Amino acid sequence: MIFLVLTVIQGLLLSQESPSIQLSVRDYSDYSRVFLESSKPLSISTERSGLYILVRVRAGDPFQINKGDFQSSRVDSIEWGRGSDYYIFTIKMAHKDLLCRPSISRDSSTVLIDITSSPETFKEDNHNGSHYDANSFSKEPANGSMQEGLKTIVIDPGHGGLETGAEGRYGTKEKTITLEIALKLKAIIERNLPYRVQLTREEDVDVSLEKRAAIANNYKAFVFISIHANGSYRKTAQGSETFFLSLNATDEETRRLAYMENNSTDLESIQSDNVDDIKLILWDMAQSSYIRQSSRLAEKIQTKLNTLSGTLNRGVKQAPFKVLTGVACPAVLVETAFISNPREEKNLITDEFQNSIAQAVYLGLAEFLDEYINQ
Amino acid sequence: MELKKLILPASLLVLLIILMVLFFGSQGKEKTPDVSSADLLEEERSGEEELDTKKIVLFFISEDDYLLHKEEREILNGSILENQIERLVKELISGSEEGLLSPFPPETKVRGIYITRDGIVYIDFSPEFQTAHPSGSSAEISSIFSIVNSIAYNFKSIKRVFILVNGTEQETLAGHIDLRRPFLPRYDLISD
Repeated sequence: MIFLVLTVIQGLLLSQESPSIQLSVRDYSDYSRVFLESSKPLSISTERSGLYILVRVRAGDPFQINKGDFQSSRVDSIEWGRGSDYYIFTIKMAHKDLLCRPSISRDSSTVLIDITSSPETFKEDNHNGSHYDANSFSKEPANGSMQEGLKTIVIDPGHGGLETGAEGRYGTKEKTITLEIALKLKAIIERNLPYRVQLTREEDVDVSLEKRAAIANNYKAFVFISIHANGSYRKTAQGSETFFLSLNATDEETRRLAYMENNSTDLESIQSDNVDDIKLILWDMAQSSYIRQSSRLAEKIQTKLNTLSGTLNRGVKQAPFKVLTGVACPAVLVETAFISNPREEKNLITDEFQNSIAQAVYLGLAEFLDEYINQ
Repeated sequence: MELKKLILPASLLVLLIILMVLFFGSQGKEKTPDVSSADLLEEERSGEEELDTKKIVLFFISEDDYLLHKEEREILNGSILENQIERLVKELISGSEEGLLSPFPPETKVRGIYITRDGIVYIDFSPEFQTAHPSGSSAEISSIFSIVNSIAYNFKSIKRVFILVNGTEQETLAGHIDLRRPFLPRYDLISD
């Protein structure tokens, strides 16, 4: 018996000591993201070979590798093996015309490999140089101009004025809840982070969606967070979710079909045609340059929402939100909970729940800033 | 006797004239749509023979997983694509028969359907689509992709769907989702 207890304790100690790597895959509409998340900094190199992406992780000590089940339209499988002083991960993609882009977080503990069929997804402009490094995950220090003065984070309380948004059974209006949460969030951020916070509205007034994006851009916002409360047809829908913009331009099926119909091995011509097509669609979409940073911000916020708010996790999703399209910085829209669900509506009006939402968004934001910005 | 001899050539001549009139007449008719330089072509809709039926697949959102689930229907067949799409949309408006979420306020009407040469279908809904919509991101997303995926799945020539309300472009459906661009189907939203 004592022996058993000892081995259990020993097991616990070992698992605490040995570093781990968590493998997972998430599908978004525009691309898929492979996560290698480690408990300690990693030294990696990556290589692309046809269908395969090889990720080599240098390792003196053994890692504990955890791989959950996943379903992905762009990733077929992930295998791993161990060499003398390294691990090698083999990511098999669904077809060879997919593009991939690996990146590593500033503290080197998280490796992200994004896989897409749309070159547009990887287009990251760095027009003015005042925002992120174009390779936002690179370990290079970010642009020096960022350190001058206080940067602005723009918080957007959804709806307002005549535009009430969704409405609950007990008469709670989305516009009221979003403003209350936004004000709490502003206070928490300004108390804890060296950023100033600008709201797109501070009272119950109409502000057009274009104006909201314009406010963000005029203040050269570093991050834009739109706060909403969700609505559905039925009162049973529940939970929190975080959205980033979908380009609505990654027509993989059409692309693949065109490829097969042409029966051509000359992929270049197809892709360059599509780039032109996509550029036309995206001419006024400032957000398209920040999709990947936005998705990372969404992931960070959603993780905190799960743990803090106690709501059902509906995950990170992509959708064509009007308010996000014109914003020229990482931007997400948080659907805090369902106002159309009477139980969540009752939660949404309490200070306690509003505070936990604000706290969760703040923590997600702080992690995002910490991971990517050299302060 | 002589009269009888004349009847055959005369009737042949008459027949020829009738055939010529028919031929050129119908050709002229066919040309009308081609000549039109307008982007939106509205075909003539009357006089269509609607006899047989065809199976279609509709997509409705399930509240359990928030993905699109299939439901089969039968609609009247016909040669005019706009009419078939209208029948499909009307089936969507009448709602799910298997307890899934119906994407439209039931009072929504279809005002018109137009198809462009590059495969974009414009569907013009009555104002109820907006005014009676419950609002909220999830409700808007489920409405839009229920329509878009259903149409793209059943009519392969349709590449994108543009949603109009009361004859005009709208900024958003009910405050969230951008309606100023045509939608591509979202295959990632379909339940396996």
